[in-house]
Amino acid sequence: MIELRDVSKVFHQGRSDELVAVSGLELSLEAGALTVFRGPSGSGKTTLLALVGCMARPSSGRIFVQGREVTSLPERFLTAVRRRTFGFVFQQFHLVRGVNALENVMLPAYPLGERRGDLVRRALGLLESLEIRHRASARADWLSGGEAQRVAIARALVNDPEVIVADEPTAHLDTRVSREVLGILAGLRDRGKTVLVASHDPLVHESPLVDRVVGMRDGRIEGEGT
Amino acid sequence: MILHPGVLALVLSSLLVSGMVLFASWQGLRVLRAWDLASGSARQLDLERRTYLVSTLLAAALGIELVSLFLYVFTADAVAPLLTGAMCAAGTLRATAFGTPVLLLKLVNFLLAGVWLVVNHADGLGHDYPLVRKKYALLLPLAPLVVLEAGGQLAHFAEIRPDVITSCCGSLFASGGDGLGADLAALPPGPSSVAFFVAVSAVFAVGAVFHATGRGGVPFALAAGLALPVALAGIVSFVSPYLYEMPTHHCPFCLLQREYGYVGYPLYATLLGGAVAGMGVGAIAPARRIESLAVAVPVLQRRLASASMLLYAIFTMIVTWRLDASALRS
Repeated sequence: MIELRDVSKVFHQGRSDELVAVSGLELSLEAGALTVFRGPSGSGKTTLLALVGCMARPSSGRIFVQGREVTSLPERFLTAVRRRTFGFVFQQFHLVRGVNALENVMLPAYPLGERRGDLVRRALGLLESLEIRHRASARADWLSGGEAQRVAIARALVNDPEVIVADEPTAHLDTRVSREVLGILAGLRDRGKTVLVASHDPLVHESPLVDRVVGMRDGRIEGEGT
Repeated sequence: MILHPGVLALVLSSLLVSGMVLFASWQGLRVLRAWDLASGSARQLDLERRTYLVSTLLAAALGIELVSLFLYVFTADAVAPLLTGAMCAAGTLRATAFGTPVLLLKLVNFLLAGVWLVVNHADGLGHDYPLVRKKYALLLPLAPLVVLEAGGQLAHFAEIRPDVITSCCGSLFASGGDGLGADLAALPPGPSSVAFFVAVSAVFAVGAVFHATGRGGVPFALAAGLALPVALAGIVSFVSPYLYEMPTHHCPFCLLQREYGYVGYPLYATLLGGAVAGMGVGAIAPARRIESLAVAVPVLQRRLASASMLLYAIFTMIVTWRLDASALRS
């Protein structure tokens, strides 16, 4: 599904503040699995997700998504891959303030030019499946942390991507809500999605719902577990 | 130097374009030497990022290069009243030894830059930089010409002296005189008008075949490219006298003036645009065999061919209209 070959990412290369975020990564990620990248802050988890999700380009190495090499793609091709293949869930939710939950969910689909009626039906269906439809007309800034993360997950799913990329999705949530979010991600895996999660939360990487745990430290893979 | 806004714009833009083209050529040499899409090395990834940026910037710079041809003749026409003896752009261009060569150089660079922009656009339609080596190889001969043009243009404007008498277009394009302008003016109107309409008709005929069969991109490019010098010669030899309604006046520059409704601008813009679009059809024809462009290039070729035929049609309509409306016919 996703393969990384000798991937490195260096920020501020050649300067005094050069930072090697990930180095020489060789990794294969299976389709239809819930994989967690575990590691302390600064271990390269977020950078790795950004590279896999085509939000950043590596400094060297190649990444293959569904057999297609994506690191060399010109930006407009990369945008299409990012839009159709990946759905993103962020630590800080990144919902657009002042806009209601339904509009937030529909935003990533706007560039595709779908009929609004169809889009609204699909977005409401996603909110329904995540048990948050009753908050569809609520502004994003009025939502609780748990509600906001559910809306963010619905937004990640609106283009029906094959891969869900979640960066510390439980960082701002209490234990009960964190378990619910993890359950939602596992449910997506059960529906055939590939779910990639970066987390240093033991509740996530020690959960039996997780298929694979990849340990990271100092930008390198440290160890693996299932 | 005459500090006309057009002169300043031309000098500054030519320096900018020259700098961009030189930088892009240096980048192009790196691409030609080291490009290897199969490699994931830091150098290759750096080249990929840079070539995308450089192509975008260079497309803007060469867009300026296209416009500069028209600004050059507009400026030459605008400063003509300041020069003793000059009646139009022809006198300004004749005021120094650099003026006319720079115009010819600009014409060549216009065509090369236009074709480069077409190739660059085609390259952007493929996901694997399919024409990256070819477009940088094409840039290498263009770079010295652009720099030469910038230098010549600067020398031309620097050397112009308002108090030195220059020639007027009446003597430069007199059928009994010397030089290219006089030779063109001396062409017999009958055969040159036949050549003119045959050349333009060939563009439509070959273009129709290309549209019907999807084949013949290179012959269409040749027809569109050859029609340009034939049409330019025709403008001097037989179109101009009808347009000015003076049998002895063959100047190709006076028609850029207000007295003639600035008809020269749409005339030359459609002619040059038609030639570039047509030549672009041939320039990207080999790319049809590249897997990542096999679908996109034929579509682009059809659009370019349509644009070329439309522009040549407008050009021919303007010429025919002015010939038909001329008092010289009666």
